[in-house]
Amino acid sequence: MTTRAVFSPLAAEFPAANFPAPTLINRRPALAFDAATNETCQWSCVAPQGLTGTLTALIYYIMASATSGDTDWDVSLEAVTDGDAVDLDAGDSFATVNSTDNTTVPATAGYLDVVSVTLTNADSIAAGDYFRLRLTRDAASDTGAGDAYVLAVELRDGA
Amino acid sequence: MMSILSDTARADVWAGAMRRFSQDKLSCGVTKEDLRAAVDALDTFLSDNATAVNSAIPQPARSSLSVTQKALLLMYVIDRRYLDGA
Repeated sequence: MTTRAVFSPLAAEFPAANFPAPTLINRRPALAFDAATNETCQWSCVAPQGLTGTLTALIYYIMASATSGDTDWDVSLEAVTDGDAVDLDAGDSFATVNSTDNTTVPATAGYLDVVSVTLTNADSIAAGDYFRLRLTRDAASDTGAGDAYVLAVELRDGA
Repeated sequence: MMSILSDTARADVWAGAMRRFSQDKLSCGVTKEDLRAAVDALDTFLSDNATAVNSAIPQPARSSLSVTQKALLLMYVIDRRYLDGA
């Protein structure tokens, strides 16, 4: 496994509604994903040279208050190659969502947990593609009470 | 008798409580479902016992104060008993 990109909360991009609030947790930049509403954000990037194999997204998060229950995360990719017939000015072309569900939260709020999401549906991403990674907390389905603070997202490949 | 809150209103209370827990870093060892059950049970209890709560207020306050004023009194007493400094 090789780390190909690390996404900071400070670089997140937001939809018009239902996005995680950017915040500081103990002076650490974080994205606060609500417990009652599914919230989404994205990161834009260019796929690095050497990218190969199955991709994995790792979500580094802490819970604000929950010490029991679980979290559900959805990750999807939109990969666009030079010359693709995709009007980026008019819409999205995200691939099917990849999910990791029912990950038990740490027994102490504030302790780091890392959730791994295998990106089986990766929109045929290849080195040099302009891509976006979309992250959603599936709050409608998970059971952890309170915000989940995402501190970073790492993208690994199979190299 | 006071009717229970709508499902939407109960969900708002539930979501608001979770946001407050998060904001104040109040450790929460129950799941969202458990928390929602607590909200529903408290609302049902207040609905079932609204008459008793009202009767606990002595006259002339019981008759003179509005429902809003009496609700504020109840809120302030609970705040002082259980939330002062929280």
